[in-house]
Amino acid sequence: MQFITENLQILFTGLGLGSIYALVALGFVLIIRATNVVNFAQGDFAMLGGYAMVLFFTGLGWPYWIAFIGALLAMAVFGVLFNYGVYYPLRHRSFLPVLISTLGASIFLQNTVLYVAGPQPKPLDKLLNFDGITLGGVFLDSQYIVILVATVALVFFTFLFFEKTLLGKKLQATSQDKDMARLLGIPVALMIAITFIYSAVLGGIAGVLVGPILFVSIGMGSIIALKAFAATIIGGFGDVKGAIVGGLLLGVIESLAAQHISVPYKDAYAFLALFLFLLFRPQGIFGEKVSEKA
Amino acid sequence: MRRYARFAAAALAAALAVCAHAQDTVKIGLVNEATGPNAEAGVYTHNGAKLALEEINAAGGVLGKKLELKLEDNQSTNPGTVLAFSKLFGEGGIVSIIGPIRSTQIQAASPTVAKAGIPTMIGGTDPSLTKVNNRWVFRARPNDSYSSRVIADFGVNTLKKQKWAIIHSTDAFGSGGMNALTTALKALGVTPVLVQGYTNNSQDFTPVVLAIKKSGADVIGSYMTNSPDVGIFAKQLRQLGVTAEWVGSPSVVTDTAMKLAGPALHGVYGIADFTPDATAESKAYAKKYRDTYKLDPDVYSSWAYDALRVLALAINTAKSTDPEAIRKAIVGIKGWKGVEGTYNFDENGDGLRGYNVVKNEAGKVAFIKHIDFKD
Repeated sequence: MQFITENLQILFTGLGLGSIYALVALGFVLIIRATNVVNFAQGDFAMLGGYAMVLFFTGLGWPYWIAFIGALLAMAVFGVLFNYGVYYPLRHRSFLPVLISTLGASIFLQNTVLYVAGPQPKPLDKLLNFDGITLGGVFLDSQYIVILVATVALVFFTFLFFEKTLLGKKLQATSQDKDMARLLGIPVALMIAITFIYSAVLGGIAGVLVGPILFVSIGMGSIIALKAFAATIIGGFGDVKGAIVGGLLLGVIESLAAQHISVPYKDAYAFLALFLFLLFRPQGIFGEKVSEKA
Repeated sequence: MRRYARFAAAALAAALAVCAHAQDTVKIGLVNEATGPNAEAGVYTHNGAKLALEEINAAGGVLGKKLELKLEDNQSTNPGTVLAFSKLFGEGGIVSIIGPIRSTQIQAASPTVAKAGIPTMIGGTDPSLTKVNNRWVFRARPNDSYSSRVIADFGVNTLKKQKWAIIHSTDAFGSGGMNALTTALKALGVTPVLVQGYTNNSQDFTPVVLAIKKSGADVIGSYMTNSPDVGIFAKQLRQLGVTAEWVGSPSVVTDTAMKLAGPALHGVYGIADFTPDATAESKAYAKKYRDTYKLDPDVYSSWAYDALRVLALAINTAKSTDPEAIRKAIVGIKGWKGVEGTYNFDENGDGLRGYNVVKNEAGKVAFIKHIDFKD
């Protein structure tokens, strides 16, 4: 009985952290699909979202929901700035300059926040007013419950948005073939800007959600982004379903292996999984959905 | 034109006066982190040293002369530290130096100090620093071998706990602490029921907490490096219903860790080498520091404050600025009450042999007791 409750406990936190990896991985994938480039600043979007929340909620004392919406709006504005500052000037160049540009943006963002907010990590309140509930010997942290619910909702929303709305279909068309999309009268630059906005907001939500658990710190994004990047490869590079499944899988693998094999090597398991996938199934779980990119 | 000449002459006279004045001071160097990632701590260290300087000079200085502090930046790096020491030694006229608080930087500069043969106060707590055949380093802080002994002594003899779980980071600091704590517990006849490492920046401590639960430990001894790790671990520990006592290395009672963890760290014991409420001396210092800088005093400032006063005391006792005489005077300091504790220097150059035990009482650090060792 103890064995079961222990493993359920591990599974629960594993899924919770996995959800955060999944959300950041989703942001990665959307930008990969739209621009063919890995955005190295994706983790810093989460960090910025976390700091925006700390500023609005803790600093300015806004009510939680207003602060939350404020943080998301700030991230949307930031997405526009990021698009026009980091991606747009290099849009006709090969993928390497853009990649380096996002890497530079990541370093710039971390150091700017370090300068403005200082090196001390910041605590953040939970969304719900209780710490958690105990169910059959398993403690369910209220924030992890929020994270799981929010991830399901966001994944569902992303699916509806991309598959059922005209705007979503335009975005998909852009990611599949920019020239064709342009011929069809789709404003490609705008579509890519929208992708950056959406991706920044997703990252921001991940930061706000995980802030109460991991605290808001300069380095919070880098740790998450590394795992999220591994998740996109495990799930299938550039695949939306893959990002979600890969993220969750990685969270669970890590936690179970830490519990049953050894704690200090926790981070190694995630990358061991990545290594095995690259070796035996390099296209990831779901492979490439957009075959013309191959 | 003539007016400028007169002005130049006046300036020259003033400069000469300054030079003449400068010769009348006793110069002590301060190798400090003025720039780089640790610059914030560097400001506090400078604050502490300046406070001591004003006091010493107000009380008549040393050997009838004013004491002067020569600041040299080490850029928070090892090469920068070696460079700063070389520069101070090269200038000449420096009778002693207050070195950095980081063990690694002192390790780097130790050969330079040994070669120059100038008494140097250090704040690094790696036990080996005073045992590397360098007669010229003197420590104004307790070294790390005492932290584990204080944790073990307090847990076993004061809290009366026998079932220990040791939780440690797997970095150099955490592993070293774990080994020292295991040894210290062994000396008290206790074998820990669990020794569990984790890597820095772990996002989830559930497996660690479950292992503690399973072990049935009634006290946790910890060497954790980063504040966010302390915060996450503390929260999950209490969430999963572990009520064991906890005596940790200084990281559990830092301001940041306590802010992050909130109530999860209430009731936890930690050790600290500087505690404002510990003694009459530390209380007086804390008040003075707060009045002067409008900041809370911490170990970065307190150790430098003590270090400069130890040097001034030694120079006055030696009645000379000869390095050998100063060394003899420092080693001869016994029972001198500083703000970090009572100094009894030994031949190695270690001045302090104990720590304060403090407790997080509803978010405030409260002084519990001071534990000192004779050896």
